[in-house]
Amino acid sequence: MLTCHQVAEEATEYMEGTAPPPRRLGVWAHLRLCPNCREYLRQLGRTIGLARQALAPPPPAEVEDQLAAIFATQGRPGAAE
Amino acid sequence: MRRNQGGIGVAPQGSYQAGAEEAALVARLRAGDQAAFRQLVRARHGRLLRLAGAFCRSRASAEEVVQETWLAVITGLHGFSGEAPLAAWINGILVNKAKTRAVRDGRMVNFSDLAREEGEGDAFEPERFLPDGHWAEQHRPWDALTPEREAGDRELLAGVGEALEKLPPAQRAVVLLRDVEGLDSAAICATLGISEANLRVLLHRARTKLRDAADRLVRG
Repeated sequence: MLTCHQVAEEATEYMEGTAPPPRRLGVWAHLRLCPNCREYLRQLGRTIGLARQALAPPPPAEVEDQLAAIFATQGRPGAAE
Repeated sequence: MRRNQGGIGVAPQGSYQAGAEEAALVARLRAGDQAAFRQLVRARHGRLLRLAGAFCRSRASAEEVVQETWLAVITGLHGFSGEAPLAAWINGILVNKAKTRAVRDGRMVNFSDLAREEGEGDAFEPERFLPDGHWAEQHRPWDALTPEREAGDRELLAGVGEALEKLPPAQRAVVLLRDVEGLDSAAICATLGISEANLRVLLHRARTKLRDAADRLVRG
């Protein structure tokens, strides 16, 4: 039987489906019996969703204005020709 | 030369068909719609800067790379094929610009070396586990993380963004390309010049740290 520590170390490979079948089975069997590890893996999965939604600071107004000005002169149809 | 060297602009899986919203945005951009362009800049600029930061050693060079990327986007929009998502196409331009610049400046980040350094030691602090291998603490469920918060809690999502920026560079690059931008493993390995084994170790380290940061943020 794998320990929680071993399962935690295997978690990403298990979730990605890259662990070889015997190790995958070991993690699966542990998770059946260990609610604490089930919760940990659930949180790891939700973390991926949070990372995808993570906010980045918006551009400073002067950067946005400068880019918009360039777009106005070069982004029109035919401007690149 | 491998065809997908730096081929980050390819669609993550199979053939790609733009949704109605994206197709409309691209059409407006091609028609020179200022509001559409500003919308794109607001949506992508910070994420581009974050991604550039994983490749560049200074904030100033990351900012320049993002600027060069926008110029290439503006002049290249009419040639954009729509075979990949717009964001992936822009990311591909950014990564190529960042790599070109790093080589020119003689400051190319060697992700393979970083992967070895960042992958050393245990992913968890020893006190997280008891000597018998059980967790030292119970993980309390994230009941406070409702779907509404997950989609719209700006403080929480900005906190996750800050946690992303605190990751060591190779872990940051991998998690940004994989979990944030949705690239597949092969494209990431080709882009960063790392092995699949490196990728798995880095992704594991990064997600482990992000989960701990998210745990603190979710509980407020």
